[in-house]
Amino acid sequence: MPYALCFLLFMLGLYCAVVKKNMVKIVIGIMVMEYAVNLFLIMLGYRTGGTAPIIDKGQLEAGMGQFINTSVDPLPQALVLTAIVISLGSLALMISICIRVYEKYGTFDITQIRRLKG
Amino acid sequence: MEQEQQNSGVVRKEKISHGAKGMTIIVKNISSWVKILIVLFGIYIVLFGHLTPGGGFAGGVILASSYVLLMLAFGREFVEKDLPLAIDSKIDCLGALLFALIAILGFVFGGTFFFNFLHQKYQIGESFHLISAGTIPLANIAIGLKVGASLFLVIFMLSTFRRDTSSNK
Repeated sequence: MPYALCFLLFMLGLYCAVVKKNMVKIVIGIMVMEYAVNLFLIMLGYRTGGTAPIIDKGQLEAGMGQFINTSVDPLPQALVLTAIVISLGSLALMISICIRVYEKYGTFDITQIRRLKG
Repeated sequence: MEQEQQNSGVVRKEKISHGAKGMTIIVKNISSWVKILIVLFGIYIVLFGHLTPGGGFAGGVILASSYVLLMLAFGREFVEKDLPLAIDSKIDCLGALLFALIAILGFVFGGTFFFNFLHQKYQIGESFHLISAGTIPLANIAIGLKVGASLFLVIFMLSTFRRDTSSNK
């Protein structure tokens, strides 16, 4: 069920990116898609009732086996952290392109941006 | 004559910091206190990144957000005077260079890229203390500098774009 909701969120973002004509709304749709994928990856590594994958002193003395059996998977979390950084960079790039296009054409509507001007 | 000039300079500075530019005086005073706490919290997140949740990126974002708060409260000119763009981009490059230097030092001392030579060879500190993880805190500091400076530059540049368009038309 949570995976289906993730898919629904992704589809909402895809709909927004494909159907809308405003450039800023397309950027928002792309970001919604990225966050849906991030949420999916985080939920792949989730374990019901699991603890955070951080070792403290008591756990080290109790032995690593119990820690491995109870903690969630840290690998998707590290991957998603990197993906968030990259999506932040691409968001800044897309927003600056939007601002430049608005500066040149005076509109955000992609159907009216037709002239190629050097 | 010189003294008069200095006096007028002081008066002008006072006008910039508490003048009509930016938000009201309540917002300015509160944000000038809160910015210190935000910077301290960011430094804490960066330095304890190997022990608790957080690390270079999260701490860098918090450091950048303190300057964004100043930019919202005082206006862009104040922040530009407080942290000039030349220094900011130098900090940006310094972070990237430090990170690459740490990685290459691992190559020099241990034979592999990103080898944690401080921890594997010299065993500095013991587990769960602040100085315990070798090169990882140093890499965290480098990433914190890089992310803080570059994220602030991104937001600053986005705000200058808008000014350019309004002055052109």
